[in-house]
Amino acid sequence: MTVLARQAVLSPLAIFSFGISGLIVLPLLYVVYSAMKADFAIWQRLWSTRIPELFLNTVSLAFGVGIATLTLGVSLAWFITRYEFWGRGFWEWAFVLPLAIPSYVLAYVYTFLLDTGGPLEQAWQVVMGPEAPFFSPYSFIGALMVMTLNTFPYVYLLAKTALQNFNVTFEEAAQATGASQWATIFRVFLPLIRPALVAGLFLVTLYVVSDFGAVSLLRFQTFTYAVYQQITGRYDYAAASILSLLLVSFALIFLLGERWFRRQSRYYQMTGKVRPPTLMPCSVSRSALMTGYCVVVFGMAFALPTYWLVQWTSEAWAENEIGTEFLTYIWNSMVLSGGAATLALVLGTPLAYLACRHPTRLNTLCIQGAYTGYVLPGPVAALALLILFSSIPFLYGTALVLVLAYLIHFLPAGLQSMESAIQQVNPNLEEAAKSLGARSYQAFQRVTLPLVRGGFLVAWILMFLQCMKELPATLLLRPVGFDTLAVRIWLEASEELYQLAAPPALLIVLMTIPVVMLLTRKNWQVG
Amino acid sequence: MNSQTVMQSPGTKKFPHSQFQGESSPLLHLRHVTCAYHSQHPAVRDISLSVNQGEILCLLGPSGCGKTTTLRAIAGFEKVMIGEIYINGRLVSSPTVHWPPDKRRVGMVFQDYALFPHLCVADNIGFGLNQWEDSQRKSQIHKMIELVGLADLERRYPHELSGGQQQRVALARALAPNPVMLLMDEPFSNLDPDMTIKMRKELYHLLRQTKTTSILVTHDHDEAFAMADQVAVLHEGNLVQCDTPETIYHVPSCPFVAEFVGQADFIPGNIQNGKVETELGAFTNQGGYEGGANVLVMVRPDDLQITKVGAGNARIESRQFRGSENLYAIRLASGRLVHCSASSTEIYDVDAPVGLTIIATHTVLFEHQS
Repeated sequence: MTVLARQAVLSPLAIFSFGISGLIVLPLLYVVYSAMKADFAIWQRLWSTRIPELFLNTVSLAFGVGIATLTLGVSLAWFITRYEFWGRGFWEWAFVLPLAIPSYVLAYVYTFLLDTGGPLEQAWQVVMGPEAPFFSPYSFIGALMVMTLNTFPYVYLLAKTALQNFNVTFEEAAQATGASQWATIFRVFLPLIRPALVAGLFLVTLYVVSDFGAVSLLRFQTFTYAVYQQITGRYDYAAASILSLLLVSFALIFLLGERWFRRQSRYYQMTGKVRPPTLMPCSVSRSALMTGYCVVVFGMAFALPTYWLVQWTSEAWAENEIGTEFLTYIWNSMVLSGGAATLALVLGTPLAYLACRHPTRLNTLCIQGAYTGYVLPGPVAALALLILFSSIPFLYGTALVLVLAYLIHFLPAGLQSMESAIQQVNPNLEEAAKSLGARSYQAFQRVTLPLVRGGFLVAWILMFLQCMKELPATLLLRPVGFDTLAVRIWLEASEELYQLAAPPALLIVLMTIPVVMLLTRKNWQVG
Repeated sequence: MNSQTVMQSPGTKKFPHSQFQGESSPLLHLRHVTCAYHSQHPAVRDISLSVNQGEILCLLGPSGCGKTTTLRAIAGFEKVMIGEIYINGRLVSSPTVHWPPDKRRVGMVFQDYALFPHLCVADNIGFGLNQWEDSQRKSQIHKMIELVGLADLERRYPHELSGGQQQRVALARALAPNPVMLLMDEPFSNLDPDMTIKMRKELYHLLRQTKTTSILVTHDHDEAFAMADQVAVLHEGNLVQCDTPETIYHVPSCPFVAEFVGQADFIPGNIQNGKVETELGAFTNQGGYEGGANVLVMVRPDDLQITKVGAGNARIESRQFRGSENLYAIRLASGRLVHCSASSTEIYDVDAPVGLTIIATHTVLFEHQS
């Protein structure tokens, strides 16, 4: 029986974490405020010009990607968890690899692959005849394809976990009562794994509406891209705020949906001993079919893009295009990301600790506040800080603002990992330490901290990598002449300088691969 | 239907308060302690008890009775809303005073042991000794390891130990800083039954040998009886009785205690001519009730004996074989069910008519409110 001690008075720690939480929520509130106080004429103008198109594009893209990822993710997970076919063990982990490619890198490779006269069109026309029509990357189909290939691993991982943890006894119990195999699938199996699938679907849609990198390179008009254009092209902060408000509302709906369904799926988690499904052997033709399917998906989502990145990098290397400025970009990225991740870890610790150990109303509110970063897509976070700091000239345009943007944006991902690390430590351990004469901070230092070290390290790496990959806020807030790897990729790719964009892209992919693999062993939450 | 009328058997009179008012001051003393997570629903209400140096007290009760809350209040993990807790004569808890757990010098063994998973056995045991001098610390760890019989396992980590070994580490860790007393929260609940009996004996000898004042929380009356000098029975947050195990069993303060610590049936009776007349026969009127009063007589299975078989107006309803005895459920003529123990070899047919004889040495009566 574990009962958490009540927090009688406001400790300094609680006040500190309230302050941090306020700092994080402030920009969001400011965007809402700017949107609300914007001239009604701007609302009207946007409503009659941009909003219908943006709404349609964003929703249809999110919906389309949702359907496509569900199809891909569930089918792959089903084959991999239920059938013994060639290379099954390899495919089981291989399908997390696409998560290592940032969306804008995948988008830029596909602008090349799908372009008129590009390799895929040529291949298509070899098969279908010389004049066969092919789709352009700069289209709905292009964006749909890139986003799907980029995000289906989320659904795959959730579905795979649900399938592997599925207690076969349920299926057998259903069959024992006389249900046919199909009836079992529809009446027992699907209802039980549905929450996991819907959670995956919401996660993917949240990702799609927040994405800036891919849609901007594919010139597909969604809310994030529009906010960016309002800021850079027209310097119209009021209009940008209005679009941001709509975008944040969207994101909030998807986030809450994901949370709700994830909680549902927890109810369905089986307790006690679970007998996992056994793998079915399959014939050569079936095996070939499944392997072929895996090869195509993996090739398009990971192998082909990576091949081209390697190819272009080696060309750039041969032509001496990688100069010393490349080292500067690496240094900038490392320092910024390292600083932001460290700061986030330090500031996040009291928040996570209080929320886990003393879940009073105030402490819960604080951590919820810190999680608002989830519904702040990069351009919106940048907009908020632009408006806020434009009145503070000595901070405006410094790297500090950028660090703050990273903090707001990526603290939630770190917090999640930190919270679960603390939660895994039995609170009795701290009490045991206190009963042996340790003060509260000593108990934390001598018992809790050594036990959460792994989880905190994961949180740091996660935040560090996300900062490395961050694009929109960096584009908008970076000090003049201060380029990071992500910014260089985007700038070169926008100019269709494929060879120059490849080295930083390849570097980011290579850095992300081990982390993706490490994280997916325990937890699918990678971004 | 009933309220308590405490029956005292002569010579064993023992009120919870009687001890601290005497000559030696108790090591632990709770005065009217109330703790609450929600002020409307106190988890424990008005608990008063004291424990002397070297004594073992068991807090006994069903789950949710407040026994763990009481233990945690003593340890300092819960604050008290009303009342005071004194350790060694010093006030450590009151509505205005709260010594943190680390200042109370109270050792605690947690239900799940709460061994630090990142530390080996020796470091777990030495956790509370970090202020000690190095050589003293080493020798104390060594002493504790010897005491609980864990030699050769010092370098193991908690996950590499069996349940019984983990419990020994938890015990050694709690005892290492020489606490003024030891608190144990259901220390045997995570062990399998064979192990429980063994560890219970070990713990008993160890506590006696080291003269450690201990408070043990349990829901198992056998455990409480086997270990304790004093048993405090809690029910819905109230302390209903605090006495020696023998008194608790033979002279329970209320029907709840009577039933919780063993099989008990309650037979309505009426005081006539200084005797309690019931359908089983006459009992002595030990409560001093007035003539004509309605009472309930507590009947334990060993208070009755089956004397006539094949005749009588009671009927055997069922038999439960318990190894060392047979427990018969017997339906009386009134339809009331009573239980009666018989020796292991006395086997009668179910449904057989029987006659019962009272062999009770003392009588426990409760007021009967209909």
